[in-house]
Formats: sequence, structure tokens, C-alpha cells
Amino acid sequence: MSTYKSFIGLEIHIQLNTKSKVFCSCKTSFGDEANTNVCPVCMGYPGTLPALNQEAIRKGYAVAKALHCNLAERCHFERKNYFYPDLPKNYQISQFAAPLGTEGWIEIDYQNQRKRIRIKECHLEEDAGKMIHAGDMSLLDYNRTGTPLLEIVTEPDLEFGDEAEILLHELRRLVRYLGVCDGNMEEGSMRCDANVSINLAGQGLGRKVEVKNLNSSRFVRKAIVHELERQAQILDKGAIVLQETRLWNENRDQTETMRSKESAHDYRYFTEPDLPPFSPDKEFLASLDKILTELPLDRKDRMSKAYGLSAAQADFIAEERPFADYFEQTVKLGADATNVAAWLCGDVQKVVNRENVAVYESKLSANRFASLIKLLDKGTISGKIAKQVLDLVFDEDKDPEVLVKEKGLEQLTDRKTIRGLVDQVLANNSKAVAQIREGDQKPLGFLAGQVLKESGGKADPRIVQEILTEVFSLK
Amino acid sequence: MDTQDLVTTAGMAYIQLSDKELETLGKAVEQMVDFFEKMGEVNIEGLQPTTHAFIKKNRLREDEVRPSGIADEMLEQAPDLEDRFICIPNVL
Amino acid sequence: MAAQTRPWNETLKPEGIKAYKQFVAERDKQVASFLEFDPLRAQGTSNERAAVSTKSKTLEGLPFGVKDNIAVKNFHLTCGSKILESLVSPYNATAIQKLLDAGAVPVGKTNMDEFGMGSSTDNSAYKTTNNPHDLTRVSGGSSGGSAAAVAAGLVPFALGSDTGGSIRQPASFCGVYGLKPTYGAVSRYGLVAYASSLEVVGALAKDITILENVYETIKGLDGRDQTSTDPNDFPLLKKEVKTVGVLADRSGLDGMQAKSLEISIEALKKAGFAIKEVSLPLLDYAVPAYYTIASAEASANLARFNGIRYGNRPIYSENPDDLVRQARDQGFGDEVKLRILLGTFVLRSGFQDQYYLRAQKIRTAIRNQFDRAFEDIDLLLLPVFPIPAFKHGDLGMTAFQQKLADKYTTAANLTGLPGLSLPGPVLESVPVGMQFMAPAMHEHLLFQVARALQSSLPSADPAAYPAVYS
Ligand SMILES: [Mg+2]
Ligand SMILES: [Zn+2]
Repeated sequence: MSTYKSFIGLEIHIQLNTKSKVFCSCKTSFGDEANTNVCPVCMGYPGTLPALNQEAIRKGYAVAKALHCNLAERCHFERKNYFYPDLPKNYQISQFAAPLGTEGWIEIDYQNQRKRIRIKECHLEEDAGKMIHAGDMSLLDYNRTGTPLLEIVTEPDLEFGDEAEILLHELRRLVRYLGVCDGNMEEGSMRCDANVSINLAGQGLGRKVEVKNLNSSRFVRKAIVHELERQAQILDKGAIVLQETRLWNENRDQTETMRSKESAHDYRYFTEPDLPPFSPDKEFLASLDKILTELPLDRKDRMSKAYGLSAAQADFIAEERPFADYFEQTVKLGADATNVAAWLCGDVQKVVNRENVAVYESKLSANRFASLIKLLDKGTISGKIAKQVLDLVFDEDKDPEVLVKEKGLEQLTDRKTIRGLVDQVLANNSKAVAQIREGDQKPLGFLAGQVLKESGGKADPRIVQEILTEVFSLK
Repeated sequence: MDTQDLVTTAGMAYIQLSDKELETLGKAVEQMVDFFEKMGEVNIEGLQPTTHAFIKKNRLREDEVRPSGIADEMLEQAPDLEDRFICIPNVL
Repeated sequence: MAAQTRPWNETLKPEGIKAYKQFVAERDKQVASFLEFDPLRAQGTSNERAAVSTKSKTLEGLPFGVKDNIAVKNFHLTCGSKILESLVSPYNATAIQKLLDAGAVPVGKTNMDEFGMGSSTDNSAYKTTNNPHDLTRVSGGSSGGSAAAVAAGLVPFALGSDTGGSIRQPASFCGVYGLKPTYGAVSRYGLVAYASSLEVVGALAKDITILENVYETIKGLDGRDQTSTDPNDFPLLKKEVKTVGVLADRSGLDGMQAKSLEISIEALKKAGFAIKEVSLPLLDYAVPAYYTIASAEASANLARFNGIRYGNRPIYSENPDDLVRQARDQGFGDEVKLRILLGTFVLRSGFQDQYYLRAQKIRTAIRNQFDRAFEDIDLLLLPVFPIPAFKHGDLGMTAFQQKLADKYTTAANLTGLPGLSLPGPVLESVPVGMQFMAPAMHEHLLFQVARALQSSLPSADPAAYPAVYS
């Protein structure tokens, strides 16, 4: 296998989250009762015509721009002709000769390296309906018909299954950042086909196998890994890989030949006469900037530099736009960035997971989070108390300052009081004291712990440590 | 245009051709295709194809939901219904 | 009109409806123009609020016929095809809604060649429509039902569609006015597509004023048809007609057709218009380019008819492919199958450049030639069809001959320009009409010349069917 070079390209369909469908005014939604969001247009009734939704084309152009594509000065639609029961008109309105975006790229971090994957094109098209097989019948539901789809086609620049998975993840993050798609592969709002080929190194692309039915990024990885292995075995034997379409069988963890189609598809593309071409004007192009935002990878880079985050922290925080916004807002409110990051990736995450809520939508508002960290920064409370306060914010839905005051959780820094506690602990632990006096410092930690316990966790550990050192004249 | 071309074309168009139709329709198609050869006489150099009679300005629709209100009426037109699903035989 | 006629707007009133229904039933036994006739069905479907503002005094209360490829809610929408036998339209075409809002009432659906594919209306899966001037002859096509219904005095106007001459040719065969508007001037929403880039909804009438009112009512930009155009986006080149162009080469015309054209030229001169000969050599390529493009678009437009969501379905089928093939096999007539095959073929990879793409480029060349011609003339006078209304069946023309004969009509569809067919002189048993073409969105020039010729070339009632309403 190592003697082969692999070439993997992805075709990713994302459903753009417009309110209405791409060519009619029916609602776009998932999970509604069958055939309720339909009209004569999306049911392919005779005499109806498509009417392009401006938000669909806008969001399409926005994604193309985010993917650094050349934006078409004039794009048009074409009919892709093929018969299938879930396709009411028996042609799909799509783009072919003049897609809205071409020749772009997206970057991914793969094995600690940044890699650029070229994007061949982005084109806007309509989704088909759903066909459910039920015994000797198939049931058709046209609710999904006409949902706007943006198809993103990459060049075959990927080499491995996990790399493809990362690309999908990056793209999902990107479309979620732009707010144009929820990226949910399970519900089909993001779908992926993979073109996989291998060849002896230096001999160019091999024979392309298209793999379909990949409805999770995990399946994309597994199917590619399987397919690369399968093709390598064929080449090892000196045989030739059949150019075909294969389906991923998730139950058997393998790709399988799709029911053979007699002849190669000839989609007979031609310009859609029912829709005039679209030429974005200045105003339209300017409107894209309202959708465009700092992209996830750029944000990750910027935040890790600006706040001194580790790569893992930056990745974690940049994952979701509102999450990253929440982080930056908290820092802006004056909390120490390192502490914010550490808490956000650690204890806060534990609590919100338990509460099953996104932190930016939780009772821990950025304001509360900032004041919690600030209490910590100033030494008003200890880390241990901060954890308690964090829980209390969720239990009582109150601000950290209020909770600290109400419960008297301020850190104990008065040396006299602490000295009193130390004396009390020493009196009660004569064995440990004797041990230390004999030169064995091991019980020091134990004694410090006892003091903290006596203080109800409020004594400043630094001061406790200092007093113990003094007492035993260890300096 | 040979018989194979016609059969392939008919397959793509989901038009079933009996032997007789293959003969009669085949002839008619061929007659037209031969007739189209006349277009070869025109010098089309430098000409752009006309795909739309008039292209004036961008035409876009507001992204507004307007329920058709006639989903049920349309379903009643379907030859075979199962609950709210339109039904066809499955490949077994 | 004769004094004994009754006004059209009485036909649908409670006191007139019975007589009107009886009258239509009686006459249409011979003419067979309607596939469905029910003057009361459209009641209550007008948009009352819109009606207040748009109600046109001239169209208020007028009944009209609708070609059966234009959607009228609650009426069938068969397109003359078996495959849509059971389909009842759940919606109104934009043109229909506008007429309803203006107070006019669709009373029935008229016969047509299946999906608009034909020049005789003999290609209907349901019935043969007869020319009211001579029942042994065809009414023309594909809007033959609409032309015959108007000519026989059953309705004051009817809607049709014109893809390659389908309004103008039957209008000229039946001796009525037939307007093919500029492409996009009238919304196509609700017109069952045959060749989307070529066709347009238009109207037929005996009275030029009614025709103009109908056109004014149905035209305009429509949000549901993004290929519809705003008249204001077209420059107003000319306000009135001064010079009319005629083809220098008028060979290939039947004697009667040539005679009709000469009579028209004389009438034009008499009315004070200047005549100028023009040559349009590319007209010879209009028919192959037209059929290439029309068939290609039709092959995709008719793909939706598969017996799944509506329409006729075979009684038994083994699987989805079998179902669709059978539905289409049983549902489509031969001419439709021919054009679907042809259109599929010219779009196939490997053939597309040679046929479809070339045809679209020739379309550009033809358009350029017409644009140049209109620099010197205001209107162009053309024959409609090389011969007058022909006989039904084997006595008439073959399907191939009919296609070749579309030479003069298809130019308006390829260029998108408007055309108006005028009632010509009645020669032998039938009228022999001619047409005028105008620059884009210059329909007013067509109405102007039609008015100027009104007295010398009136729309004559068929001898057997004198006007009862006017
Ligand atoms: Mg696609
Ligand atoms: Zn819809």
C-alpha cells in the first residue's frame, strides 16, 4: 500500500438554511408530516415555474467567498436530466457550465501541519424528495424537494480517510460560523460523496471510484480507508480497478457495488430556460460581507496568539462561533485570558455537560463568568471555592459576587486568624509535629490540608504555607 | 443515427419502443435529424448561443414562506396514496 | 354586428346562462372546439380585492375559452394528452387570475394538439376540431380549439399559447385575430411548458379592441415567472407605423396565400403605409433551428409526466422504472414521443454541439438579421402558413410537411418578437390570413395596423355560424 499514492476528492452537499425553498415559497423543514410543505412548483405540476430565492443565492455566494473562490460575474442554472421517483420534474435544476464559485481553497490542520485543499467549484441546486422503501412499496415524501443545496466539490487533494474527516469537520465548522447551515450529517443537512483512486506514485490519478451513502464523517473516514485498501489489493494482484459507484454499507463496514446502471449517465445538461442568468451587482456583493465573518481557522490562529492559548485550547474554543464569542467577551470584561481558557476547557465544560446546555446559553453568562474569574484573579476566593461558586451559579442562578457574599466564601487572608487555626491543628497533631521536628518534612502537606479543612476551605493556602514554614523555622 | 442510438436515446427518455415503433418512430426521428443537417450550412463563427429571448435584469424572490394551502388537494390527484405518502411499487 | 345579436356580458347572467349553454352545446356539436365547458365553475375564484382596482369595463362579464394547456383552477388540464386525462388543476395561471380579477370568466377548456405539438389540432388525444368555415378542414394548431371557438362565435375571445405559431396559424385558418406577444410580456406561469424559451401566452378574438384589452390585462412582470419582462425595460423605438416591410422573396407560397398577401399589400398602400421590400435569407434555417430547440426543451419539460404524482398510471407495474415507462408509453401520442426522442438525442453528449448548440447560435444569427431589418421598417408583413386551412387526415399534410410549413411563424418565437395574425380575405371556402411582426414590446404598432386594415379586411363570420352575441 505504501507504494501507492492516493487521491481523494469530496463532493459535499450542504442544505442552506433559508426560510423558504430555493425555487418556491414552501417552508424548508426537517421532520414534518409527509407532503405537507409542498406546492404545485415543488411537486412538479405542469405549468409551474421556478422563482429563485435571493437568500439561497446570497448564502451560496457567501460560502464560495469564504472558500476563496472566484465569484462568477454571471452564473446561470442548467437542467440535469435523469429520471428518479424522488425528483418531481425528472430533472434537477443545478449549475454546470457557470457555477457561482470556482477555484477556491480551504485549509485544514492535519497532523500538526496546515494543508490547503483546493475547491474546484461551488454550485447551487435543488434537493430531491425522500423515498422510503417499505416492503413491496416505496413511499414518496416531497417535503425536502426544493431545499436549497450548495454542492462543494474539492480537487482530489486529500490522501487519507482521517484527513477527509478533518476536512468535513472544518467545512462543517465554517458553514456553522457563517450561519448558513447547521452541518448536521445525521439529519442530512450536510452530505458527502467521496471520489477515491490510487495509483503508483508518479503516475497520476488512478481509476476513480465514487463512494456514496456516507451519512456521517466517521463513515467517510471508514469508507475511504476501506476503499483505499480494497483498491490496493486489486493493484497488488496486477488487476485494474473498475470505475464505478459504490455504496458504503455501515452494517458490514465495507463499500459495495451499487446496483449496476446499464450505461454511464449522460445528464444532457442544458441552460435552464425558465431562469434568467444571475449577475451579482455591487450591492449584492456588499451584502455578502454581512454573512462573512472571521473563519474558524483564522480565529483559532488569532486567539491563540492574542491570548496565549495552547493549540488544543484554541481549537476547542474556536469550534463554535458563539463559544469563541463567549470566550472573547469574558476576557474583554477583564478576566485573565489564561484562567478563562483553563476554566472554560475544564471545570466549566464539566458543569455544562452535566447540565446539558451550551455555556453561552447557560446561567453562567459571560458577565458572571468574568466576575468569577476576577474573584479568583484577585485572590478573593480560592480555586476550590471557585468550583463551589460555579456550581452555585447553576443551582441558584445568581451572580458570583452575590453568592460569595451571601455564603461568606471570601478567602481568609488574615494572618492572625490563620495563625490561630495553625496552632490548633499543631496541638491536635503532635505526632506529625514531632516527625517534622525530627527533620522529616513529609507531614507538612498533611498539616496544611488540615488547616484548610478547619477554615472551611477559605484560608489562603499561600499564607497557611508561609505560617507553617515560619513555625518550623524551615527557612 | 443507427438503431443503437435510437434505443439508447429511448432508454434515457423513458420511452418504450415496440418493434413497430422502433421502425416508424425511428424513421421519423431520422428524417428530422437528416433535416437538421441543413443547419450545417450556416456560418456560426463568433456567435453566442441564445438561451433566453431577453435578459434584462436579475430576477430574485424574497425569502418568504407562503404555504400553498393545497397540499391535500394535490395529494388527492395521486393515483396511489398510503397515508400521506405517494406510493409506487418497490424494486424487490 | 347585426342588430339581432345579444351582448356578451349577458351570457353569464342568471337570465342568460341557460340560453348560452344551450347555444354553445348546439354549435360545438359540429365544431368540437371545447374539451370541457362549464360557465359556472369559475365563480368565486376572482380576487375580489384586486377586482375593485383592476376591473376593466370592457372585459367585465365576458366569457372566454382557455386552451387546455393553461391552468384554470378546478378545470381539467389535459394538454390534449391521455397522460393528463385525470388531472384537475389546483391553481390558476397568472394570465387567468388577471382576467378573473378584471371580471372576465373562463367558461371552458379548448382542444389542442397534444402538448402543443402540431398544426392541426388533429393531434389531440380526445377529439378533432373542425374549421367553422369548412368542417372538412382543420382549424389549425395547436390552439385550434381556441381559434374555432372564437370563429364560431362561442366566446368573444380565447387564450392560446404560441410556441412556433400555435396562435397565429389557427387564427389565420379560422379568420380571427391572433396575438403572439413579445416573449416575456405575458407571464408563462400556468402555461404547461412545451418549449420554455420560445413560447408565450396570447389571445385570439374577432374584435381587435377586445384583443387589445385582453393583452393589456394579462401582460406584465410576474414574480412567479422570472423570465417575464417589464415593458419599461425596452426602449420605445417607434410610436406609430409608417413603413411596412414585405419579403422580397415570396416564392414557395400557395396561390391563395400569395393572393392574400397581395391583397394585404394593396390594403396597406391604400391606408397610406409605405411598403419596403426586405430580404431575410436566414429564414430558411428557422425551421430546423426551431425544431432542434423546441424538441430539446420539450424532452426535459415532458419528463415530469411519469404517472407518479398525478395523471394516468398503468394498472400494474413491477417496479418504478416499469411504471414510468408504461405510463409514458400509454399516455403519450406518437408525435409527442417523436419530439421527446428527437430532443433527447440532440442534447446527448457527443451530439449536443452539432445540433442543439448550433441551433442556438443560428437563433442568434436570425435575431440579428431581424434586428437589422427593423432598422429600416416599423413592421414586417409575412405569410402565416404557406397554404390555407387543409383537410383532415390523409387529404391534408403529412406531419413532416406541416413542420416545414412553420417557416414564417417560428421566426417570431426564435427572436422573441411579437406577431399578430389578421383575418384575411375568404378565398374559396376559408379565410387566408397573414401576420405582422413588430420590434420587441411594440404590440401597439400591431394594433395600429390591424385597426387601419379593419374595414378592408374584416373578420368574417363563418356562413354557417352567424354571430348570436357581440
Ligand atoms: Mg449535486
Ligand atoms: Zn413548493
